[in-house]
Amino acid sequence: MSTETLTADPAPVGPIARAVADGVMPGRVWMYANYHCNMACAYCLTESGPKVARRALDPETMIAVGEQARDLGFTDLGVTGGETFLMPHMPSTLVELSRRLPVVALTNGTLFGRRLLEKVEPLAECDVALQISLDRPDADVNDEMRAPDNFRKVVAAVPELVERGITVRIATTVESIDDAELDRLCALHRDLGVPDSDHIIRPIVRRGRADTRGMGLQAVQSDLPAELTITDDGAFWGPFGPTVHDDRLDTDLLVTRTTLPLETPARALLALLEGRPPGEDSTLNIR
Amino acid sequence: MAAVARVELDQVPLLARPYFAEGDPGPIVRALAQVPELLTVALPFIGQALGPSAISFRAKEIVIVRTSALAGCRFCVQTHAVVALDAGLSSAQVAALQSAGPAGHAFDDPQELALLRWVDVVAGGGAVEPDDRAAVLRHWADHEVVELTAVASTTLMLNRFATSLDLPTAPDALDRLDREGLL
Repeated sequence: MSTETLTADPAPVGPIARAVADGVMPGRVWMYANYHCNMACAYCLTESGPKVARRALDPETMIAVGEQARDLGFTDLGVTGGETFLMPHMPSTLVELSRRLPVVALTNGTLFGRRLLEKVEPLAECDVALQISLDRPDADVNDEMRAPDNFRKVVAAVPELVERGITVRIATTVESIDDAELDRLCALHRDLGVPDSDHIIRPIVRRGRADTRGMGLQAVQSDLPAELTITDDGAFWGPFGPTVHDDRLDTDLLVTRTTLPLETPARALLALLEGRPPGEDSTLNIR
Repeated sequence: MAAVARVELDQVPLLARPYFAEGDPGPIVRALAQVPELLTVALPFIGQALGPSAISFRAKEIVIVRTSALAGCRFCVQTHAVVALDAGLSSAQVAALQSAGPAGHAFDDPQELALLRWVDVVAGGGAVEPDDRAAVLRHWADHEVVELTAVASTTLMLNRFATSLDLPTAPDALDRLDREGLL
């Protein structure tokens, strides 16, 4: 028996680990770090903006989620918001989370001035990817849906991050984009140092502010990925679940109010995925 | 007026949806649905404690209305006064139960009178004396006393829940009570 075998953490066992391994349950656990943002995008799921309630997870909770996610058998973590880097603890929290599981953190990419760039430099040594929104290859069209000066700040930040060895993904969120425009957008992200494999294009989902403005695709529960999503308000069926509409948190995709121990919402989500009747896992509450 | 919101019908959480499948399930469920993992364990228990079982429908409603009256729960008294009528109690009996005062005059069955005395002890708070238990056990089997006591205790929990959250009585229940002279 090798030394490596002796010291390695045992592989998680149990129903969640099995469900993830079998593809019954997605492997990623998302956390909404916060809901406030320095921008107020037209299609924002959470009606985020500078003056909204923060609904923030503290770093200790986030790390506990990451730790328990790993122990249960999940394979990846996602951190979203709001603008995640409005939380001063975010660089160090991402480092800590990545010691448990690989992390993707979503950001609008507009806050990476000199000081924040210095703070995120340790992420280059970690299994962390920063996913930055960039919707269009032209500043005026991009900024119309997002915020003034968004385009300029993103195209300045991405090369700085890439230069520091930090993995950057580009996320494009659009109702539609024609081939010529997409070609120019892809040329741009390649120029910024982001390969095609790290560029994702996703539709606008008609929830939150997008619903108010009549934008995007109508989606029901079965259309949305069942990635367990932890917020300050509870655990939800995927990151498209804990949306805000007219200042009210949507609860139609709420799974449990309990978030820790993570096993409680994870088992409830698994029960939903397996179609078991509610309450069948009620013995969990006897402790 | 400050009030705790009940889940709107377009915002029903996933685990709670089966309880809304046939429409509005009422204010207790709509309040508990805010915490779906609590709802899914509480409702089967409440349903078993207060619903059909080895104890008669009539006996359970005697316990529920009387307990609720003693606890001063407007919602539970009004809601279950209607159910008690459906369970075969007369308007006079329901009126006596919901008065929170002496109710024995409206009943003549010794077993029901013993049950009333037991409910007054259980729901009244304070010590329960051996003589109280002996009195109810002369008319009811051990397992029946266990279940009837669980009915009273569960009702007390719901009494405080409904009173604290100021749950509204359904309009059709109020109409029925009005027609029966029970408002």
